[in-house]
Amino acid sequence: MEFKTFVFYFLSAILVFAALRVITSRNPVHAALFLVLAFFTASGVWLLLQAEFLAMALVLVYVGAVMVLFLFVVMMLDINLDRLREGFWGYLPMGAIIALLMVGEMGLVLGGNYLGLFESSVRQAGADESNVQAIGRLMFTEYVYPFELASVILLVGIVAAVALTQREKRKNKSVNPSQQVFVKARDRVRVLQMPAEKRD
Amino acid sequence: MEMQKLYLLVPLAPLVGAAIAGLFCRVIPRWLAHTVTIAGVAVACLASYVIFKDVMAGNTYNGPVYQWLTSGDYHFEVGFLIDQLTVTMMLVVTSVSLMVHIYTIGYMQDDPGYNRFFSYISLFTFSMLMLVMSNNFMQLFFGWEAVGLVSYLLIGFWYTRPTAIFANLKAFLVNRVGDFGFILGIGLVLAHFGTLDYAAVFAKAPELAGNTTLALFGEGEGVALMTAICILLFIGAMGKSAQVPLHVWLPDSMEGPTPISALIHAATMVTAGIFMVARMSPLFELSNTALSFVIVIGSITALFMGFLGIIQNDIKRVVAYSTLSQLGYMTVALGVSAYSVAIFHLMTHAFFKALLFLGAGSVIIGMHHDQDIRNMGGLRKYMPITWITSLVGSLALIGTPFFSGFYSKDSIIESVALSHLPGAGFAYFSVMAGVFVTAFYSFRMYFLVFHGEERFGKAADHDAHAAHARTDAHDDHSAHGDAAAHHADDTHAEEHHGLAPGQKPHETPWVVTLPLVMLAIPSVIIGYIGIEPMLFGDFFKGAIFVDTEAHPVMEELAHHFHGAFAMATHAVTTAVFWLALLGVALSWFFYMKRPDIPAAIKSRCGPLYTLLENKYYFDKFNDVVFAGGARLLGRGLWKGGDAGLIDGIIVNGSVGLVRWFAAVARLFQSGHIYHYAFTMIIGVFVLMTLWVTRA
Amino acid sequence: MTLAEMQFQTPELRLASAEIFMLVMACLILMLDLFVKDRKRTVTFVATQLTLVGAAVVTFATTSGDIGYTFSNMYVGDLLGDVLKLLLYLTVIVVLFYSRGYILERPQMARGEYYALTLFATLGMMVMISANHFLTVYLGLELLSLSLYAMVAMNRDSVPATEAAMKYFVLGALASGLLLYGMSMIYGATGTLEITAVAERLYMGQVDRGILVFGLVFLVSGIAFKLGVVPFHMWIPDVYHGAPTAVTLFIATAPKLAAFAIVVRMLVNGLIVMAPDWQMMLILLSVLSMAIGNIAAIAQTNLKRMLAYSAISHMGFMLLGMVTGVANGDARFALNAYSSSMFYVVTYVLTSAGTFGMILLLARGGLESDELEDLKGLNKRSPWFAAMMMMMMFSMAGIPFFVGFFAKFSVLQAVVAAGYLWLALVAVFFSLIGCFYYLRVVKIMYFDQPTNSLPIIAPLDMKILMSANGLAVALLGIFPQALMSICAFALLRSL
Repeated sequence: MEFKTFVFYFLSAILVFAALRVITSRNPVHAALFLVLAFFTASGVWLLLQAEFLAMALVLVYVGAVMVLFLFVVMMLDINLDRLREGFWGYLPMGAIIALLMVGEMGLVLGGNYLGLFESSVRQAGADESNVQAIGRLMFTEYVYPFELASVILLVGIVAAVALTQREKRKNKSVNPSQQVFVKARDRVRVLQMPAEKRD
Repeated sequence: MEMQKLYLLVPLAPLVGAAIAGLFCRVIPRWLAHTVTIAGVAVACLASYVIFKDVMAGNTYNGPVYQWLTSGDYHFEVGFLIDQLTVTMMLVVTSVSLMVHIYTIGYMQDDPGYNRFFSYISLFTFSMLMLVMSNNFMQLFFGWEAVGLVSYLLIGFWYTRPTAIFANLKAFLVNRVGDFGFILGIGLVLAHFGTLDYAAVFAKAPELAGNTTLALFGEGEGVALMTAICILLFIGAMGKSAQVPLHVWLPDSMEGPTPISALIHAATMVTAGIFMVARMSPLFELSNTALSFVIVIGSITALFMGFLGIIQNDIKRVVAYSTLSQLGYMTVALGVSAYSVAIFHLMTHAFFKALLFLGAGSVIIGMHHDQDIRNMGGLRKYMPITWITSLVGSLALIGTPFFSGFYSKDSIIESVALSHLPGAGFAYFSVMAGVFVTAFYSFRMYFLVFHGEERFGKAADHDAHAAHARTDAHDDHSAHGDAAAHHADDTHAEEHHGLAPGQKPHETPWVVTLPLVMLAIPSVIIGYIGIEPMLFGDFFKGAIFVDTEAHPVMEELAHHFHGAFAMATHAVTTAVFWLALLGVALSWFFYMKRPDIPAAIKSRCGPLYTLLENKYYFDKFNDVVFAGGARLLGRGLWKGGDAGLIDGIIVNGSVGLVRWFAAVARLFQSGHIYHYAFTMIIGVFVLMTLWVTRA
Repeated sequence: MTLAEMQFQTPELRLASAEIFMLVMACLILMLDLFVKDRKRTVTFVATQLTLVGAAVVTFATTSGDIGYTFSNMYVGDLLGDVLKLLLYLTVIVVLFYSRGYILERPQMARGEYYALTLFATLGMMVMISANHFLTVYLGLELLSLSLYAMVAMNRDSVPATEAAMKYFVLGALASGLLLYGMSMIYGATGTLEITAVAERLYMGQVDRGILVFGLVFLVSGIAFKLGVVPFHMWIPDVYHGAPTAVTLFIATAPKLAAFAIVVRMLVNGLIVMAPDWQMMLILLSVLSMAIGNIAAIAQTNLKRMLAYSAISHMGFMLLGMVTGVANGDARFALNAYSSSMFYVVTYVLTSAGTFGMILLLARGGLESDELEDLKGLNKRSPWFAAMMMMMMFSMAGIPFFVGFFAKFSVLQAVVAAGYLWLALVAVFFSLIGCFYYLRVVKIMYFDQPTNSLPIIAPLDMKILMSANGLAVALLGIFPQALMSICAFALLRSL
């Protein structure tokens, strides 16, 4: 076994473990940290594929920005994971059976050729080729259309987030004395008359 | 191109009028309703005339106007076939319709349904034009059903009268029987020819005629395809053109207002069957069996319906039975392959019969809606125009030389005489006897209405009311319905019936008399003008196909023809003329000279009279056998099949099943997102299992 | 080929000019709205409508009838796309008119963002319609979905709406995952994501069918979610019911056109070689949808929910046309079959717009009026609108001479022509069951006593539009040929 292969399995094992822990750990902060671990190992796998730039971007963007933000949220909110997972054990057997069967079927299809260690057809890039340059070139030439579309999607994301969270802000909180003076008791106090209710 | 737009204009103009008058019938004033509809029909009439000129110049047309639907290889189109036959019908329909429209202004003056009525008759004109102008069976069927629908609506126009409702129901049901045959015929055409286009069907007919048979029962003896198609189509014509035994609805249809009796139940719609058979002449020529069938049915109708006319006392029913008899004449002409003669008689009949009906309507207005001829008499003094025009109509009807009816009827009789098809002998006897009968009842009515003693305005016409109630109360409905009919008739009678004592009839307004005069003119002259080109010229060449080898009637007829004038003068030497004269003389003697004789005959020939009184028991038979049988069957099916099997097990059972299933489906729709997600996963899983394991 | 050798052609922007116009205008309207002080946002509304009209003009002007590719073959401009886009603009215009009164009564929805999101969603659908690349299909779909999630949740204070948005979002994400997974499998099998290239490679053979079928299962599942067919339909009733009716109207109409487009693009254009497989899958989904949709609809008391189940059954019916294109390796009937589906979907959108529009018409004073009870005695309150609604229901039930009848008829004809007689019988059987709940609506409108005798007040434009909509349902029933020919011609020139 080549060293690279060994590294791959090593990283993959950690990745799978971390991913499992994300959904099984009881502490939400732990879960978030496991997710960070999963991202790290994933970027390691990408490095093996010589996708250095993507690996860096994953670490920088997801680990550095997204997950930190996420941790803030998790720590600020009091999330009771146990309550969220109430039905978990009840549904587990059924879910597990289906999941196992699906994995089995996937294995059936993808096996043979794909589980075996076949020769990778990925083109080996020369040392002088810049990963960043390649991505940039592709992104702005051949994939310019999806790239632009992705940016529109992000724009819609922003618009949607603003639309859903923005409240009409009150301009200022200063009081208007002249209005205060004119206030009558009946503007502020309402006397309700309710019939007494019988309790059965 | 210009002409095609004109073709389109002909049916659309009345449709627009009908739409305006109908959709806004509650909003628009009366004058607007009759102005738009009359304008629409007038435009159609004018355009028909222009088209007639154009066709005369040799420009026929056959093509699609609009493709409605393509279903596989079948194209359902709206198309026009404009040839001599079509254009004749268009002229007849639009001109009679125009007269009737004008007449209606006077006749329906006080009716609350004024606008609705105009809308209906314009709609009828549209439907009828679609029928005659079509170039394919589908559109023909559309027009066929549409005129049936309007006829149904118009018979029941006074829908508060139970008798009207029974009459329109009857017309509807009887026509369904005919239409059942008709649509089976069309279905056979579609199945065997693969198209519904006239031209294509006619072109293919001879090749299919020779060797195609339909096995009725298994592999045994079959019926020739053409015979089956033609007889089925003719059954449709029997319903629409009221041939025995599907004639029972026509006399009852007189419940409708008189203008439509003239337009629909005399001049146009009932002749649709005749037109259709003439149009299908290339098919009918291929089957002698079908032609014989047509002859026999036609001659029975021609003679036996005439007899019934003799004993009727309702002025409109007399005319109605004479219509039945004349339709029989036309049918006989079709049967002996004298299609052009049938169409010729159709045209002359349309004019003089519309005239007679409108004249009868005029009398009815003058008599303040008393329709019993025994209460009339001597009207000629009070209603001179009506008198003269009715006389003209009656003379035309009985075939007086030089009048239009003479030429057409005489040609029919001669062509029947020349035919050698099975049944022609019987037909010849029927049409000859029919001449006498026609003359007798026509002039019986004429004398009783316009001459003799003035019997109107007498307080004691209670007897007449009872008689009237008897004619109106049909035998075909249940005792309960009967009682209702009597009751309604009584109340109706109290409302407006007849003249008060001392009151005199009066001449009707000009909107009524003008159409009478306008119709009287063609009733006199159209035969003299038309006979030579229509029967013996090339007029219908291309439109009507006659197999001269097999059915040489028209050729032989042409040998005997030496001009219209000669034909009329020669008539004096024929039996036909004398039979008619005898009929007139006898009716004069019976009803003017010796009114006691008919009464005596009536009492002597009790059984015969009862037979006629009950219209040969056709209604009774239908009531007992068909209606009773259907009720019995219905009750059986209702109790056993519907209530027990269908309601109990199938409906309630399946409703229960569906309810249960729906409840289960609702249960699945729990509102929990993980249930939903899980369902999706299961879906993917099942698909995957099914396909991945296959691959 | 190294990167340096890569040839890059400047994309021909003319083909995609409608999309570009739409994007620019959507951004402009977003900014324009900042300067609008009017609470009713009339300026924004008018600008949005004008944008849609403008897009229609641009699309119409750039239609050539030929097939053109641009953006490295990721975008295809053809007649099918143009026809569908024009119908799409029309639908969105009508939807916005119908929704106007409704959203004005809900201050949280009556904001510029609502219109901007509508335009972005429309852009997403346009991208889907013109996609020639699995990636663009996916991105268009996401653009549409994201806008829809936000629109559903827009009425923030409504608990059902928020819940519906949440469900839609989560399940939509799952479906996107399935779709993407399927696409990645197809990439794995063929080595490309370009739809026409995939078709070419499949023709050549030499692809791993096993993997392809595997990907196909996921692809079909993803599409099925978007169409809302069983068993990927669970979101439909909840979202239709929970969402503000104006948004329901939007979801129930325009996206169906786009969903039809991606079915044609991905399955017909790309994977026609795999037709035997995906046709069988769709038959299964279609039969299940017709069964569950029609039967479950009977048990509903809420009109929106009932129509949601009816939408499920209609999409099932529409799929019947898609499954009969290729029979025993014979694609003779393909054009007929696909155009019948297209006709079905177009007429369904038309009818659906009318029915949901009617719910909007009845909803007044900030309250929904979407229970079946609310229709009671509609005939007494407004005979005209009751008649319109009746025509809509008749059409949905497939009663002759309304347009729904011809849609069903032509689909069934395609089914029979392909030799699936049993399938046609099943479809007719479930349609008959479906008649029950449509006719129940008619019964309620005409024979029940009204509980609410208020006359119906609606702005004139809405009345006119609603009448036109109803009459279109009737008129297209009498003159279906023109639309049928358009559908057939568009497909003929594009496949």
